[in-house]
Amino acid sequence: MSNFSRRDTLRLLSAAIAAVGASTALPARAAGGKITVLNWKGYGTDEAWSLEAFQKATGIEVVHDYFSSEAESLTKMRTNPGAYDVVLLNSARVSTAATEGLIEPADLSKVPNAADVNPDLLANPNFTIDGKGYAVPWVWGMTSIAAREGIAIASYKDLAAPAYADRFAMDDDAMIAVAMGALMTGQDINDPQDLPAITEALKSLKPNVKMLWSSEDQWNKSFAANEFDVSVFWSGGAVRSKRNAKLPVDFIVPTEGAIVWVDGLAMATDAPNPEGAAAFIDWMIDPKFYVEWATKVGAPASANAKALAALPADDLSAQVHKPEYMVSKNVMSAMPDERREAFNNLWQEVKAFYAE
Amino acid sequence: MTRLGQIFLGLILIFLYTPIVVLMAMGFNESELYELPFKFSTRWYSALSTNTELLTSGFNSIVLAVITAVVATSIGTLAALALSRRTFRGRNLLQLLLLPPIAIPWLITGTAMLIFFFWTGIGRGMHALIIGHVALAVPYVVLVVGTGMKSVRADLEEAAMSLGSTPIHAFFAITLPLLFPSILGAALFAFAVSLDQFVISYFLSSPGYTTLPVQIYSAIRKGFTPEINAISTLLLLGSMTAILIFARFAKPGAPK
Amino acid sequence: MPNKATPQRASKGARILPQWVSTTALLLPAYGWLTIAVFLPLLTMFLFSFMNKTPMGKAPIEFTLRHYRAFIDQPYLIKIATNTLLMGLWTTLACAILGFLAALALVRCTHGARRETLLILILLPFWTNGLVRVFSWTMVLRENGFLDNIWHWIAPAAGSIAILYSREAIVIGLVHGYLPYMILTCYIALVTIDDAIIEAAQSLGARWWVILTKILIPLAAPGLISGAVLTFVPVIGSFMEPRILGGKVGVTMGTVIEDQFTQAFNWPLGASLSFTLLAVTMAIFATFSGVLRRGTGGTA
Repeated sequence: MSNFSRRDTLRLLSAAIAAVGASTALPARAAGGKITVLNWKGYGTDEAWSLEAFQKATGIEVVHDYFSSEAESLTKMRTNPGAYDVVLLNSARVSTAATEGLIEPADLSKVPNAADVNPDLLANPNFTIDGKGYAVPWVWGMTSIAAREGIAIASYKDLAAPAYADRFAMDDDAMIAVAMGALMTGQDINDPQDLPAITEALKSLKPNVKMLWSSEDQWNKSFAANEFDVSVFWSGGAVRSKRNAKLPVDFIVPTEGAIVWVDGLAMATDAPNPEGAAAFIDWMIDPKFYVEWATKVGAPASANAKALAALPADDLSAQVHKPEYMVSKNVMSAMPDERREAFNNLWQEVKAFYAE
Repeated sequence: MTRLGQIFLGLILIFLYTPIVVLMAMGFNESELYELPFKFSTRWYSALSTNTELLTSGFNSIVLAVITAVVATSIGTLAALALSRRTFRGRNLLQLLLLPPIAIPWLITGTAMLIFFFWTGIGRGMHALIIGHVALAVPYVVLVVGTGMKSVRADLEEAAMSLGSTPIHAFFAITLPLLFPSILGAALFAFAVSLDQFVISYFLSSPGYTTLPVQIYSAIRKGFTPEINAISTLLLLGSMTAILIFARFAKPGAPK
Repeated sequence: MPNKATPQRASKGARILPQWVSTTALLLPAYGWLTIAVFLPLLTMFLFSFMNKTPMGKAPIEFTLRHYRAFIDQPYLIKIATNTLLMGLWTTLACAILGFLAALALVRCTHGARRETLLILILLPFWTNGLVRVFSWTMVLRENGFLDNIWHWIAPAAGSIAILYSREAIVIGLVHGYLPYMILTCYIALVTIDDAIIEAAQSLGARWWVILTKILIPLAAPGLISGAVLTFVPVIGSFMEPRILGGKVGVTMGTVIEDQFTQAFNWPLGASLSFTLLAVTMAIFATFSGVLRRGTGGTA
């Protein structure tokens, strides 16, 4: 993903885009008064109680714009230069955004709470490029197995067991599917060499696959309607389902380990309100916000060590997100477009096989 | 025979309204996850009454849908008139060109619009939404009104003109009243296309300005609650009342 | 759809200006609007479909035809495409039969204000959000859902009749979504029928199927064609109904294309698949409407 040879035509094109963008950027807002955040809906930054407290403390109003896929978030940043202050980026997408100049290196002196962020995460090559930290690691979470209470699963291979015939729900996400296939076949989740083996491993699940879910909403409603017993699901989602919706679900990390993702908060290039952006990022990694978010709503694990330590020991988030699950080699990382395309085609092929 | 036809219409209505009744019922169901058995509750309506974001977006959606319906029906009817009453070179091509906006998934059209509007400086916001929604509704209007044109006999118009009526007068006096059901139907579709449109709105709305489908679409990642059912029910009942009153008073040129 | 069978003489009246001026004036607002909002953006997308990767990054772009080779390189797509076309066909067929009969019943068995009310009631379900509507279907069709509950109440001993997560469920959801189009277009075509024609045919001893095939269906043809366009064309690109109602069988060209845009960030492939599908659709309708025009040209 490094070494982009830029062609003049493209440079011209992007200059033209920038010029057009500058003239059409959103109308100037009252300085200091407002920031715009780009994130998933309902993912921490838009909790009403937190935004109220933030406005009271800093006088800054927070406006949100949402995306529904990571690819879309990049598209929105590219087509709205100067519109956003803070953007949420997955570990696998930071380098793309940084090399394209969509985000600026974070000035950690304005984010005091960054001092408490897990140093391994802070120095992770997904976030630090050429010695510059581009996004402040915010939370990490896992994608692994969520099963009806009482079901024990030791390995991803158990998902193919006849006991779960027609009772398995798969995450309809190419990256997750391939990563799981890699774990099933003992390969590197970010750079598996034997793709046909992964295809076979995933195809072996066919008799058990009842449905493919594509949103937390769909997972919750189908699980509540007793449509499946075992599934591939998000750790934070499992916590929310169990605590808020009282669903009988356990989050299980089998012997192969979980698929780990880290989300960071970054400052957009030409942010209209960089001071406000830094203040908001700091607020978001503050233990005080995290504890309230995790205990009230349900959240992934904070990247801030102090915040994680501040959780009550019997808290569900703390129980699910054990530090030993955070294995660097299982963190989803940046990868070349060609590989991403190969993963997507593999998953399409497996889905076509499921549908037959 | 008449009995049989009426029974059939009744069955069609049952089919069409099954999910609508479920939708409405679940707005009064206690469970956040739409679980059965049914347990009556008005909590979602009281939650809705304080949810200004959802209410504002619902209002925005209606305004947008009305503008879309009016504009798309006007310009679409004109085009349908030309396509069915005139012969000219390229007419078939123009008719075939109505297909891409319907055939290409909205996701692609929406992405394409986002990029193009960005390049040309049209940008995002309500004006962009109107441009996009009208464009998507126009083909529906042209097709529906065009069907009506084919069934309204052109010779009536001609007869009027041979009796000394001007073309414009003949159009307003003869064709338009006969076309009224088609035009009204087309407007209803245009309204529906806009009201249901989430992909394009998603790309083209600016932060802070959202529509109801956008709210629903972005809520689906985390979960939408029966508040959505509540507001959908209110919208539907509201429009049902409005349009039935309208039909009572507007008395469209007697459907023969 | 084009209907050359009605070469118009009505325009004879436009005398003051050359006719092309008024024709252009009528067409310009709609097609100008479409050009800016749809055609030019889609043309950009068409250009993208020949690029090796999504041209939004800073990596160099190369032009390639490989995305149009997808059906050869990824043969499983052929199967998906066949299933998608079949899904479109079944949905359109079901809509055409139900829609034609419903329109006929409206025209022949109802009158006046009652008919208007019925017509409006048929169109109104459209005014609810599609996503919410499809989600409501899952609650009707799933195991222990509404339909299953009613069935168990009628026949307690019988097994479940839940059909959620099947091709049938997808088609039901789609028919529900597109039936009102077909009813309206058929109604518009049929409402002009002169009762006298049917009575004359009856008095001449014509059987009902003769009246149906020789009078009613030809008269309804423009409506059936427009309705088929408004159903088949969007259905083969649909992704929401297959995803939510289809479970694991819900893999269609629509979902493949959606995945290219949301997950894979591979616009060129998504666009090329979509334009291929568009070409197939246009070819089907060009052929189909040609045949129909010849078949019904005299009466329509």
